[in-house]
Amino acid sequence: MALLEVEDLRVAFGASTAVDGVSFAVDEGKVVGLVGESGCGKSVTSLAVMGLLPKGRPAKGRKASQPVQAAASEPVGPAGGGLKAAAAVPQAAPATGRRSRRGGGADVSGRAAFDGVDLLSLAPAAMRRRRGRDLAMIFQDPLSSLNPVVPIGRQITEVLERHRGLKGDKAAKEAAHLLDRVGIPDPTRRLKEYPHQLSGGMRQRVLIAIAVACAPRLLIADEPTTALDVTIQAQILELLKDLVDTEGTALLMITHDLGVVAGLCDEVNVLYSGRVVESAPVRELFARPTHPYTIGLLGSIPRLDLGIHEPLTPIRGSIADVIRWKDGCAFAPRCDRVAEACVAGEPALRGDLHAHRCVRAEEIA
Amino acid sequence: MSGPVERAAPHVPVQRTEEPDLSTEEPDVDTGEDGVSADAATPGAPLLEVEDLEVHFPIRRGVVVERTVGHVRAVDGVGLSIEAGGTYGMVGESGCGKTTFGRAVLRIEQPTGGRVRLGGEDVTALKGERLRRFRSKMQMVFQDPLGSLNPRHNVDMLLSEPLKVHGIGSKEERRKLAVETLDAVGLPKSVLERYPHEFSGGQRQRLGIARALMLRPDLIVCDEPVSALDVSIQAQVMNLLDELQGEFGLTYLVIAHDLAVVRHLSDRVGVMYLGKLVEEADSESIYEHPRHPYTKALLSAVPQPDPEIEANRERIILKGDLPSPANPPSGCRFRTRCPWAEDVCAEVEPEWREAASGHKVACHFDL
Repeated sequence: MALLEVEDLRVAFGASTAVDGVSFAVDEGKVVGLVGESGCGKSVTSLAVMGLLPKGRPAKGRKASQPVQAAASEPVGPAGGGLKAAAAVPQAAPATGRRSRRGGGADVSGRAAFDGVDLLSLAPAAMRRRRGRDLAMIFQDPLSSLNPVVPIGRQITEVLERHRGLKGDKAAKEAAHLLDRVGIPDPTRRLKEYPHQLSGGMRQRVLIAIAVACAPRLLIADEPTTALDVTIQAQILELLKDLVDTEGTALLMITHDLGVVAGLCDEVNVLYSGRVVESAPVRELFARPTHPYTIGLLGSIPRLDLGIHEPLTPIRGSIADVIRWKDGCAFAPRCDRVAEACVAGEPALRGDLHAHRCVRAEEIA
Repeated sequence: MSGPVERAAPHVPVQRTEEPDLSTEEPDVDTGEDGVSADAATPGAPLLEVEDLEVHFPIRRGVVVERTVGHVRAVDGVGLSIEAGGTYGMVGESGCGKTTFGRAVLRIEQPTGGRVRLGGEDVTALKGERLRRFRSKMQMVFQDPLGSLNPRHNVDMLLSEPLKVHGIGSKEERRKLAVETLDAVGLPKSVLERYPHEFSGGQRQRLGIARALMLRPDLIVCDEPVSALDVSIQAQVMNLLDELQGEFGLTYLVIAHDLAVVRHLSDRVGVMYLGKLVEEADSESIYEHPRHPYTKALLSAVPQPDPEIEANRERIILKGDLPSPANPPSGCRFRTRCPWAEDVCAEVEPEWREAASGHKVACHFDL
């Protein structure tokens, strides 16, 4: 059994569906990539797994002044939560007093089993105990993820105190050790510094230090190097690779950069409009891309190893040109190989090791 | 700001627009500029020549009495030339001064030293009204398409504004030119009444390019033209820039951090580090045979979308971060991060030399 098994994850914000039935698994010591462009649902997927999405709004007609009772009687995904209703734990909810929010929030359904336990049905307090200890996350923008008025040392020891019970000197020593581990020179001095005193690469290292403080078994990295320069990106990718190799951490890597995927991931899931359109081991995916979207992405990237001024073959249109999955392939309006079969109903994800969601895959290949 | 605003039209090569009336609202008083543009049209001749450009920002301290305690040497002596119709790519990491360089070329930033010539005219010596009118020859495309478009202006207003500023054409003529330019960047006429927030990122960047094109400039400085866009959209915009170059006879200075993007767009590439050029060559040879250790490291750091290459490549991981441009290292500025640095690098600043034909480098060694 894989460490993290996400099955049929669905996330909707009101009427719009961000994630529309995503399934994938992450094994220990493996790096799995979620790839796609903005709006494909890759970040929302990771936030749902981490339990960081604002909870869905209560059913219509309920007064906002009774949030606790609302939580008690309501499973986590009230509107779209058909799949989940049975798995939800109404008994756990009253004690936690989860606050429902009006006008916003996500309806999450499906399953995200971490070591056999469904994270989506955990009570907030139970999730809080796991978050940071069993699974941790690194975000794209390190400056806004760090508290600007708290020294970084304190931000690291906070995690150590909460999850590992370390205090005072012991915690400070461990924090310095962690900074050293992520390659920050002179860690004892750095502990007293504030985020604004560090460079972008340093800040991302601090975030990684916080994330790995409790040796989590699963690390989710959401575009961890997008805000960084290439030379710093290379340093950070090296560090992540090292963590996976030496600690056996499972890494879920969310990125738009197929170059990063090629260098880091073992398996790749390509997302488009909230669904996995292709998933395969990394070498297989790059050697035999099957879905026209994957092929289009690869054709859009200027490459250093090909002839100069080789023309790019962009994907036409934009992500706004989309049809609903149940009516056909969401990529059909932008696809050069579109046929009638493509818009004649929901395309299924076919194949086992190398799966794709294209009805014309055989013809295209 | 002072005196009556001359409504003379600058010389705008509008011949492609089949709208000869546009530039003759009033006779062009400055004959010098006419000759300038004639030069610019000659292919092969350098359109833009930059010599030893410097932009130093003072660091000021003190509450009551401000003293200058030092300078951030954002651009510290950069020279290059771009042929008419050519594309020069400037790469470097954040903080290396590439954006400041691009802005100084356009006089958006005041250079503190050096000289910029566009089509023979000394841009650095221009002042006041002459500078303002000269700006029609040089335009800029910005990185953030949303941030650089006024949210309260619709497309018609956005595109007409540069023409209004330079007193070109009547309202109808300006609109006609706007429609033609929109067509060139692949947007329909119907968008004229729409506002920036109604567009996707790629469409906004098309608008940004259309606005830069409105005055039919000779030179366009593109500052990170595609880095805010999604991969599939990046390719669309890069292809568009390519097409427009042929159609309008444009000369580009492309500033970007992405080496693959720069390689794709440019004929000639310069690599900047801490305010100085460290290497410059034709885009083919700089990628085939990088000579400066920094270029080598940059190239080796770019992740490539091919697992086979990624698994087998040797990566040069640079230590640490960019040093402060207020206090650059002695000798060679790259020596603090250079894996090949020796004693001489700390003492002597390497000269900017031609290591091979058309291939310049600032390094003591032949790597």
